Amino acid sequence: MPLPLYGFMEGDTIGLLIVADEQESVRSLAGKLRDAAGLRVDGSCHTDVVYRGIVLDPDSTLAQADFKPLQRFDLRRNHGLSESRYSR
Amino acid sequence: MLDREDWLPLARKLDWEFSYTTEQQVFPEVISGHPWLPQSSWQDWEESFKTSYREYVQNQHEKDMAVYAVRDAVGRLENVQSLATPWINGLKIHAAALPLAEFTGTIGNLRGARFGRDSAWRAMACFGALDEFRHTQIPLLLMHELVRWNSQFDWAHKFYHTNNWFAIAARHFFDELTLGQNAIEFHIATNVILETGFTNLQFVGLASLAHEAGDYLFEKMVTSIQTDEARHAQIGHPVLTLVMKHDPDYAQYLIDKWFWRNWHLFSILTGVSMDYLTARDQRSGSFKEFMDEWIVDQFFRTLDEFGLKKPWYWDIFLDELDTYHHMIYSTAYTYRSTLWFDFVMPSPSDRKWLRQKYPKYWNDMDAVWERIGERWKAVGPGPDNERLVLGSALPAFCELCQLPLSAGTPHNNTANVLAHEGNDFIFCSQPCRWIFLREPERYANHKGLVKRVLSGEAPTDFKALLTYFSLTPDTWGKDVYAGDYDWLQRGGAATP
Repeated sequence: MPLPLYGFMEGDTIGLLIVADEQESVRSLAGKLRDAAGLRVDGSCHTDVVYRGIVLDPDSTLAQADFKPLQRFDLRRNHGLSESRYSR
Repeated sequence: MLDREDWLPLARKLDWEFSYTTEQQVFPEVISGHPWLPQSSWQDWEESFKTSYREYVQNQHEKDMAVYAVRDAVGRLENVQSLATPWINGLKIHAAALPLAEFTGTIGNLRGARFGRDSAWRAMACFGALDEFRHTQIPLLLMHELVRWNSQFDWAHKFYHTNNWFAIAARHFFDELTLGQNAIEFHIATNVILETGFTNLQFVGLASLAHEAGDYLFEKMVTSIQTDEARHAQIGHPVLTLVMKHDPDYAQYLIDKWFWRNWHLFSILTGVSMDYLTARDQRSGSFKEFMDEWIVDQFFRTLDEFGLKKPWYWDIFLDELDTYHHMIYSTAYTYRSTLWFDFVMPSPSDRKWLRQKYPKYWNDMDAVWERIGERWKAVGPGPDNERLVLGSALPAFCELCQLPLSAGTPHNNTANVLAHEGNDFIFCSQPCRWIFLREPERYANHKGLVKRVLSGEAPTDFKALLTYFSLTPDTWGKDVYAGDYDWLQRGGAATP
């Protein structure tokens, strides 16, 4: 099911509408925002998707992460922390 | 024959008691405004500068003749063509935003001319309506000459009739400020905040830059308009005095709300022109310096005069002075095809100047320009490559101000989502959210661009969206130099 979201990439000057799918992975969502903002921001080190204050597991689906339409998510620069922070 | 001093006070004050209807029916609160007070409370309403219709017509005629004389002397097409290209594109912004916004001011003043609570107020509002009609006609007349040369000037008349995203935002602002507003809120918001404050950016700050840029026609036009604004803006102050006396919390709310709404719109209209589309050697100061001198100081005087407090969001505003129009301009540059004027990249020396004027967050802004410059270097200059240096994902917009979600800083965008009666709304900033929550019934049903796209009312395809924005390949915005900047092509020169 299409899932419109507001994506904010750290370092960018605008929030963007990103239309995703509930069964899509968090990693895929991050890739969409990275591509969309790539003209203004180097996305190579942006790896953390943050939703409602929680860093998400990139392998989880948006449905598993309980994404709802028209909510904000952020793509933050990874500052060297390991993926063990993620919980499913 | 009576002397002026004998008949003018009598003519100004022609209120009477109603015998066959009630005062509430003649001046309903919904359209006269809050607080509703009997006429006896308003009878001491005084404008500081009094004029008669005869004097008004004489003065306006002389001012019109002065504008026409400047047009005849320096307003020919070749005069405009000789101006710097970025400045001409700044002119296109104002050519579009100004005339029909002024016409909405005609409607707002006519509401005051009918529903204002004192006859002297109503008489002044009548002059105000005539002023605003003049401010509609003059720029339309002067810009019309330019349409045959550059079709982007057609937006002088077209802008507010389109579904362009910036027109949606400007309509949202002026619909509330002027077209659909009661007399009290109209005169406080328009006269006290917009005309005593923010239009100084246009009519004083930008006029001085126009002089430096050699655009004497624009300078004459806006200074002529300013002389009218200075007169009819005086309506708002005695209105605010009485509202402050009877409902100071409401007065404070109106001031806080309208300062914020004006700030966002004018930071784009004027900030972009001053800091990006005026040649650096023609800038007498930065937008922030103009704001400090012409808006912040003036606003504090107004607050002191009426015993009002600084808006609760003052620290947010001060932070945005350093960021907002920069966030907007760099974003808009990458979405320039969605607008009706052309853009220029800030050169290394421009960026050095901007860093000096805006040191707090410029590093973050500079990184964005660096990235855009790298893209131009990668694809090479030329009109055929423009599309490779454009964003294609749909930007998101605030559901209060309808402007892009570009508030805060690149590292801390302040957009926030609100769940309200089963629907989600996103706002660029806490003040926009606060304004929405004060009057949700006024704002909640407005359909912004994102919701138009999601409901199928506007296309999802980006190219089709440009058509929805009333743009064509001839008129949509481009890079003035199509990426062909010497400093960029010299390699590694993107960093100042």
